[in-house]
Amino acid sequence: MPNLSLTQNHEDPRGPKPRKILSRRNIILYGTLIFVAIYYLIPLYVMIVTSLKGMPEIRLGNIFSPPIEVTFEPWVKAWAQACTGLNCDGLSRGFWNSVKITIPSVFVSIAIASINGYALANWRFKGANLFFTILIFGAFIPYQIMIYPLVILLRDLGLYTKLPGLIIIHTIFGMPILTLLFRNYFTTIPEELFKAARVDGAGFWGIYFRVMMPMSLPIFAVAIVLQVTGIWNDFLFGVIYTKPANYPMTVQLNNIVNSVQGVKEYNVNMAATLLTGLVPLAIYFISGKLFVRGIAAGAVKG
Amino acid sequence: MLTKVQSERFFIGSIMLAFAALIMATVGIKPQLFQNLQFLILLVSLLLVIWIGFKAGKFEIITNRLRIRAMGWLIAATFSAALWSFAQKSTQLLFPALKEFRKIWNTFEPFALFATVVCILFALLLFIVGSRDSKLERPGFIERSLVNNLSSKIAALPMVLTAVGVFVIATLWTVYHSFTNSRMLPKSEFIGFAQYERLWSSDRWYMSIENLAIYGICSLIFSLFIGFMLAALLDQKTRFENTFRTIFLYPFALSFIVTGLVWQWILNPDYGVEKIVRSLGFESFVFNPLYDIDIVIYGILVAGLWQGTGFIMCLMLAGLRGIDQEIWKAARVDGIPMWKTYIQIVIPMMRPVFITTLVIIAAGIIKVYDLVVAQTSGGPGISSEVPAKYVYDYMFSAQNLGQGFAASTMMLVSVLIVLIPFAYLEYGRRKHA
Repeated sequence: MPNLSLTQNHEDPRGPKPRKILSRRNIILYGTLIFVAIYYLIPLYVMIVTSLKGMPEIRLGNIFSPPIEVTFEPWVKAWAQACTGLNCDGLSRGFWNSVKITIPSVFVSIAIASINGYALANWRFKGANLFFTILIFGAFIPYQIMIYPLVILLRDLGLYTKLPGLIIIHTIFGMPILTLLFRNYFTTIPEELFKAARVDGAGFWGIYFRVMMPMSLPIFAVAIVLQVTGIWNDFLFGVIYTKPANYPMTVQLNNIVNSVQGVKEYNVNMAATLLTGLVPLAIYFISGKLFVRGIAAGAVKG
Repeated sequence: MLTKVQSERFFIGSIMLAFAALIMATVGIKPQLFQNLQFLILLVSLLLVIWIGFKAGKFEIITNRLRIRAMGWLIAATFSAALWSFAQKSTQLLFPALKEFRKIWNTFEPFALFATVVCILFALLLFIVGSRDSKLERPGFIERSLVNNLSSKIAALPMVLTAVGVFVIATLWTVYHSFTNSRMLPKSEFIGFAQYERLWSSDRWYMSIENLAIYGICSLIFSLFIGFMLAALLDQKTRFENTFRTIFLYPFALSFIVTGLVWQWILNPDYGVEKIVRSLGFESFVFNPLYDIDIVIYGILVAGLWQGTGFIMCLMLAGLRGIDQEIWKAARVDGIPMWKTYIQIVIPMMRPVFITTLVIIAAGIIKVYDLVVAQTSGGPGISSEVPAKYVYDYMFSAQNLGQGFAASTMMLVSVLIVLIPFAYLEYGRRKHA
């Protein structure tokens, strides 16, 4: 700010050289950023606007114009009445299915992966590295090649098309990234703490529950954010390992919007799309930095 | 009299036999002569262990230093015995509630009985090893692998099972079955490369590959370029950096399905961009990528870039922040313009970040599936098919498993082509560091 720098003129100059707000550099910089930001926000805006219009208004106006007459009917319809095939009970079923899938999957996968990471970081045994390398390698292998054997496995277990089966699948495919996350975090905890706990007589589980877990709550939060968004957004596993009655929200959304029969109700479709995106968006905006940390953790070592 | 090493070797041999028998029983191979060869082998190894114990001279279970560990194995044996008994008709009659899960019990039944015997063998062996305490100089191989750090090994069991059981065995299973004539159900009869010949003579597969190549190359170039530009813009001590970053990254929180559906709506020729530009006066303006077979893949690309570049920007930003700030000062002192500093100094310094990002993008590209399903369902016609969709359709809709397996194997091969040099580079770098 030019004014501020004037009042401080009697001191030695410090800090960066004061710049005019409207310098050419700033116009280009902020102009570009704002332009790109608008481009990124347009789809969200279009989603919201369309979902608040009535069908006649959509047919007449353009998709960017704000609604003249705000109506929440599309939202109600998307939630409770939209049809997939013969079922006409809306997205609500998919929503509750997704909740039923996400909560236990997040819990189970994080519990298993954190213990795995702990064993790898603090209780190394011979051959552990080999399995870990295979695990990380597996994160890059296309899922398509492992899908069918898992179908056979779940069918043999009697869990194919059931929720517990899907939970197992999410646990398996979430494991590489989560194990990496926890292993890397646990190795940064000073070894002296671990040794002190051992001297005090704590065993494998004692150290985990009394020392490691209380100390690593932030990383658990990161893992929860990562898994909730990941599992909520999953489509492939949902469509393969469940049956129509158990379809998660994403699959049901796709079936509602891309169904061929009937008149296309774009406002209902957009309301449904927005409803599905709402959970991860809420998590994203609430968690903020944790989300960035979570996705960056996956990228740390590839 | 056997030495310790000899008895251990005997024991390992018999356990190996028991495991071989277990695998034979699970896979379903039954030898012609001895229908119950597996049980015979188990019996032999049991006798062998007892004999080793007898030779050891004394059994002091009360003072045995390994008895707690041995008890652990006995408990494991009890559990698997219980699992086995749940599958039996008489137990199910006693507890009708068990019947609901009988599929699970039935699956584990052949395995559980063997596991019981093997666990009992482990327990017995620990008793024996422990009772020969005075004669032991240092823990033998068996003791080391069965006792030391056991909780850690048990805790890592899910990881081992996933790594080996799913990632290795399932992959090999699929690769093997891509050489068979499986249709509705997987068959194990080997027919050579016929599936691959069919795959490579199919128009749809060519279309998929072509689309993936266009999508992949464009998305690599554009997301790296845009991601880096945005990161560089945000790295200029920009005000509201957090706000901008939040805006650029939020699409990444959305699923591909949501992304695809939104862009399907925006690119809709009747209501979307095309109509708006036309209503501005350009009557002959044509822009309907989702209904034009030549450019449909670019319509998908737009949506994919919108969803993913924020993430690339984040990675790049982290890379830029990792660069020593002194370099900027040095460059400024030398009077090097900013763009030149980026190209000649900063980007070469960020090579590892670029390589990692490249691998992440590449691994993501090959999995692209949901986006296409939501946006175009592969249409119009087959013009926006991708390999992942080919695999899914042949496995679950067209009931032609062999084709699906062959296509997924091709996907695996292409990933390995990217991944192996990367792993080699990464490993080499760490070794030198």
